Amino acid sequence: MSDVTPAKKAVSEIAASDIVETVPSALIILDRNLNITSANRAFYQTFRTSRAETEGCHIYELGNRQWDIPALRSLLESVIPHRASVEGFEVEHDFPTIGRRTMLVNARKIFRPGDHDGYILLAIEDVSEERAAQAESKRNWQLTQSIVDTIRDPLVVLEHDMTIVTASKAFLTIFGITEAETQGRRVSELGQHQWDVPALRHLMEKVLPENKPIENFEIEDDFPGLGRRVFNLNARKIWQPGNHTHRMLLVFEDITDRKQRERDAQVLTNEISHRIKNNLQIVVGLIAYEARSTAAECVPGYKAMQARIGAIAQLYDLISQSSRGPTIAVDAYLREIAETMSASLLGNTSGIKIEVKAEALDIDPDRAVPFGLLVNELATNAIKHAFPDGTGRVVLSVEQVGDQIELTVADDGVGMKGKDAAKVPEKRGADYVAIFVRQLGGTIVPSGSEGAGTIVRIRLPLLLVPPAGAERVAA
Amino acid sequence: MMAVILIVEDDAFTRDMAEIMIQDWGHHTLLASDVDEALSLLRSPQHIDALFTDIYLKTAVLGGCDLARKAIELRPELRVLYTTGNTVTDQMKALFVKGTRCLVKPYAEHQLQASVENLLAA
Repeated sequence: MSDVTPAKKAVSEIAASDIVETVPSALIILDRNLNITSANRAFYQTFRTSRAETEGCHIYELGNRQWDIPALRSLLESVIPHRASVEGFEVEHDFPTIGRRTMLVNARKIFRPGDHDGYILLAIEDVSEERAAQAESKRNWQLTQSIVDTIRDPLVVLEHDMTIVTASKAFLTIFGITEAETQGRRVSELGQHQWDVPALRHLMEKVLPENKPIENFEIEDDFPGLGRRVFNLNARKIWQPGNHTHRMLLVFEDITDRKQRERDAQVLTNEISHRIKNNLQIVVGLIAYEARSTAAECVPGYKAMQARIGAIAQLYDLISQSSRGPTIAVDAYLREIAETMSASLLGNTSGIKIEVKAEALDIDPDRAVPFGLLVNELATNAIKHAFPDGTGRVVLSVEQVGDQIELTVADDGVGMKGKDAAKVPEKRGADYVAIFVRQLGGTIVPSGSEGAGTIVRIRLPLLLVPPAGAERVAA
Repeated sequence: MMAVILIVEDDAFTRDMAEIMIQDWGHHTLLASDVDEALSLLRSPQHIDALFTDIYLKTAVLGGCDLARKAIELRPELRVLYTTGNTVTDQMKALFVKGTRCLVKPYAEHQLQASVENLLAA
């Protein structure tokens, strides 16, 4: 009794012919003389031929001898006779009917019972598109690698686990390491672990999952063979359309020379600022000395002159410590003026508090002197006249109003009782206010009575918005 | 309160002006132009209540800071007031003797007076 029931046998026969017709690979069977005994539908479709043209035809004769390919001849005549099967034999050929194609040929010898000559089953898979995609990918990679190698800044491409996929030639040259030493290693493990910085690691962990680039992360350290260096690190996520692999590009910009130039410029600025302020100290001293031998009623004028010189001198502090570029931070300038005025309050004025409420706004350094002198004049006026009992509060504020800066000097003192608040009681002070406002192209905003005290509002067209991407200049 | 104040300033004019002003307010003054001159006075038996020192002294960029630290080691009760034409940075402040102040240049007479009064009242 057979193990195979008739039903099972029928299923297996149907299944075999169905499978042959259904598989996407082109299949042909050759006899020992290399004549085609049969082919499947995929073969006819792929090579645009028919059963009538194919069956019984010698393989090399088929379709105007388009299968008379040296590589195929070698497979069929030299390899197959000695082996039962061959897999992955690649044939690239210009087929007159379908153009240039890359075919992957698997061959197997099959024997039927009683037939010793056997047949050859050829499964031919058209892998042209796959090979073209691989070639394109390789060309892209070579292009990328050549771009990477051309960029003078060292850079690495990192896998999602922070291991290095590739490092540019500049990276290998500058850090004196071989390609083999970088592959599969983390940046933090390189060299003497200079890049093993917790803050950098923290930022790098966010680049891929949060698509958050790293911009201008500065690391200063001693590098073997390089000495002390400052590097600016920038990183961003990179990926190819249709490719789910996300990687990170990490670029190391050597900014050592730039930093040194910035530091030199800083030292020079500080030195100049120091000399100017020492010279201004001499000027203030000369005025003080003159004031000693002058009539008592003239002394306030000398003191006002010293305060004005002080307001100009404060600018040099701001220029030398400016972190917002070649501009003057109005908020910081107001605070400096307030601090100096507070420090100089004496005797019957020591109960006066000077406060600053300021938005972070920048002005052109060329206009900072009249601005500082204007603030000095208005605040001095408030201190002198608003508080006969020696206690009170002066608030200096700046805010952006439209495209202008509004400077407000307000006090909670005795008020002007209907007089124009911007009219400083002393003629010279009033003249100065008018001159500085005019010089700055500003306007005095009429102020009504707003509770006790005096309020002066001045609109100034000084707002300076630094151009995007403007390089910050070390002062 | 009449006090003895050591003025350390490398610019002769500024030093003399400070002396005139401080003497006007009834104090005694001692003068030095650099760290070494000041230290020799501080090491002497001379009574000194307060040190008023410039920070950048001749070639010593932070000479006044070094001087004040040594002065306090010699005389722990000494009061210290700094002055400078430089920007007072956090790095500089870190070098200041605890509880001291700095008068920035250019200072007017009344500003120096307020600072000296605060110094001696502390």
